[in-house]
Amino acid sequence: MIQLKKLFEPVPSIDPEQAKEFIAKHREGTYTLLDVRQPEEYEKEHIPGAKLIPLPALDDSLTELDPQKPIIAY
Amino acid sequence: MLSGRGFKEVYNLQGGIRAWNGLKAFGPKKLNMDLLRGDEEPAEITLFAYGMENALGSFYTTLSERTADKDLGHLFTKLEGIEERHKKMVFELYSDIEPSGMDLPEFESKVTSQVMEGGFDIEGFMKDNEPHMQTSPDALMVAMMIETQAMDLYLRYADRSSEARTKEVLFKIADEEKAHLTALGRLMSEKA
Repeated sequence: MIQLKKLFEPVPSIDPEQAKEFIAKHREGTYTLLDVRQPEEYEKEHIPGAKLIPLPALDDSLTELDPQKPIIAY
Repeated sequence: MLSGRGFKEVYNLQGGIRAWNGLKAFGPKKLNMDLLRGDEEPAEITLFAYGMENALGSFYTTLSERTADKDLGHLFTKLEGIEERHKKMVFELYSDIEPSGMDLPEFESKVTSQVMEGGFDIEGFMKDNEPHMQTSPDALMVAMMIETQAMDLYLRYADRSSEARTKEVLFKIADEEKAHLTALGRLMSEKA
């Protein structure tokens, strides 16, 4: 039950200005920007450096993400 | 989905990309990834990056020679000067990686590519974009677009690379692009 609860814990939100500040203050490679949209949406526009893993594929792609690095997802 | 799986720090961007008023890159995940093999050593990456900075510098030099607008000419010369500083940074990065490596003339002699930062071909980009670079604000918008694409490309290369040292070099170059974008933003505010 505790494990299930953890899976559904909401993550904190940050607004775009906070995200911009975070990106400005952190060296590249020390955090991950994660784009969970579809490829055609990513192709149209994305935040520079964002890693594309569409949401349906996320569960099977967790090994592509470093759990030690902060993640900002959109 | 991430918070219960050992990911220590996860944030949701409020409003998603629609609310994002910062820089945006475009193109599919594979855009220009074929410009590198994916298994390059760190020194090869610096040569590649130097070539792209050099090509972009040539682009700005050509624009400065072709414009009759004095202010625009000065801006293009300034932008070319920024690329020269970047080239210097990239060569310093190379020298750190290979302390007994090539000197600058030899390093430069290895540069053959005409591909600009972001993966754009000089001639094609000139043909498509010169008409849209006739005022300082418009020229700076295009410059920012180029550097945004450049940063995005370096980070996609870093994500693909499995070699830690190569990743590190790509991240450092991407950090320089980030600083470059901040500088262009300030220039944009001055010219607005």
